[in-house]
Amino acid sequence: MSRNRIHSEQQMVRRFTRTFIVTHWLYASSFLALLVTGLPMYTEFFDWLYPVLGGPATARQLHRIFAVVFVVPFLILLVFDRASLKNWLKQILSWKKHDFQFFAAFPKEFFGFHTDMPKQDFFNAGEKLNSILQMFSFLLLILSGVFMWFPKYFPKWLQVWSYPIHDIGFGLAIAVVVGHIYLSIGHPSSRVSIKGMTKGYVPMKYVEEHHGRWADELRRQGK
Amino acid sequence: MPEFVKLVDVTKCTGCRACMVACKNWNDLPAERQEFQGSIQSHKKTTAHTWNVVTYTEYEQEDGSLDWLFRHSACLHCKEAACVKVCPENAIGYTKFGSVVIDSEKCIGCGYCVNNCPFKVVELAEYKDEQNDKTYYKAQKCTLCTNRLEKNMQPACAVTCPTDAIVFGEQEAMLKQAEARLAEIKPLYPNANIYNPPGVGGTHAVYVLPEKPSVFGLPEDPRVPLSATIWKDYAQPIGKALFGVTTMAVIGAFISNSLFRRHENLEQVENEGGSEQ
Ligand code: SF4
Ligand code: SF4
Repeated sequence: MSRNRIHSEQQMVRRFTRTFIVTHWLYASSFLALLVTGLPMYTEFFDWLYPVLGGPATARQLHRIFAVVFVVPFLILLVFDRASLKNWLKQILSWKKHDFQFFAAFPKEFFGFHTDMPKQDFFNAGEKLNSILQMFSFLLLILSGVFMWFPKYFPKWLQVWSYPIHDIGFGLAIAVVVGHIYLSIGHPSSRVSIKGMTKGYVPMKYVEEHHGRWADELRRQGK
Repeated sequence: MPEFVKLVDVTKCTGCRACMVACKNWNDLPAERQEFQGSIQSHKKTTAHTWNVVTYTEYEQEDGSLDWLFRHSACLHCKEAACVKVCPENAIGYTKFGSVVIDSEKCIGCGYCVNNCPFKVVELAEYKDEQNDKTYYKAQKCTLCTNRLEKNMQPACAVTCPTDAIVFGEQEAMLKQAEARLAEIKPLYPNANIYNPPGVGGTHAVYVLPEKPSVFGLPEDPRVPLSATIWKDYAQPIGKALFGVTTMAVIGAFISNSLFRRHENLEQVENEGGSEQ
């Protein structure tokens, strides 16, 4: 039984491009690195990380390096895979009835009960919300981060407002990330979607169950 | 333990700068050369190595006569100090005497306190680590001579001041003395006031001022910055709560999924080669 044959029987559908996948993981790993280097400043509870990281000064230095890596994925998409970026943005900005209905059905599904979920787009409403919140917190973090990094070039009121804004951006991002990670690798009904972010392909059956409108579209295109 | 107050009666100050010298001396702070300020004032403001500066203000009164106003400026040791609030390392704290003191061991030199002090008192000192040639920073400011208070001594500036423009004692007595002095000078200085700003919960350094605070370079209504309050009292607790909520939801979902979930698992379908189709 060759795996490939199974895949063709099972019918896998391309979901994400290679570039999109690489940028996702680059983003994810720099987020993690920023988290680790920033946590001891966020709360004393993680002060033990300072010695691990080589002291506060080094931690702050590393935080800045990873901050640069953090913006690279966006630039890569912008230059090398504008199609994916465009599709992504277009999708997450389109909100129709079935998107709002998603949230009524989602809690039941999330806790493992059967629900009648309205057909979803290429990105379901949860993924759309995740993307929007991530982008929003990304903007907050980067902007406030720049003001804090280069205090000489910005007025003081921007500095003092950057502290809470950086904090809010982080709080938002981390809360969302927990759910995102669980849904993509832990939750029994959606965890197969991780394949879209590793190999780029997802099973057609998953598409039909979770992204009905996209499945319809694929069928219309005769794929 | 009663709280203490340093009472600075600027009407008695002769601008002799003995307090500056005493401070440098006791705290072993290096001399700091600065560019000529265009006046007799030695330094523009307090720095990380100069914890108190006597300011010299040439002030024209309403009748056109000139007043030369001196003020011993240093950390005010706020009761609700912005620097304490924002420090991410809990490196600044209140002592039992009421003074606000920085723990250099804990300070990581982030400068948040510098940006938030409503009086622009605290600054970062730069140090060089001889061993690995790295520079690092520590916030430094007046300690109200807390190490002297612990030995039952008064702050060096208060002891040194030849005219008793700086005196030190129990809070109640000092505030009473301030009121009495205010009553004395009011006829001569109608704008006279006691500077013990409520926006920072009052201070442990209280001034008797013959003119409005702004004349002496003090903010009229200093407050803990709104951004600091939003940050520490709202953004941070809410962020932590949000993180807790999503984490709990995920744990709950994990448990309830393993307990109640009946219908088949997509992964299995795939690995079994779609046998159910
Ligand atoms: S005057 Fe500034 S440095 Fe001193 S206690 Fe108040 S906020 Fe802190
Ligand atoms: S510079 Fe030091 S004392 Fe000031 S806020 Fe940062 S860690 Fe705290």
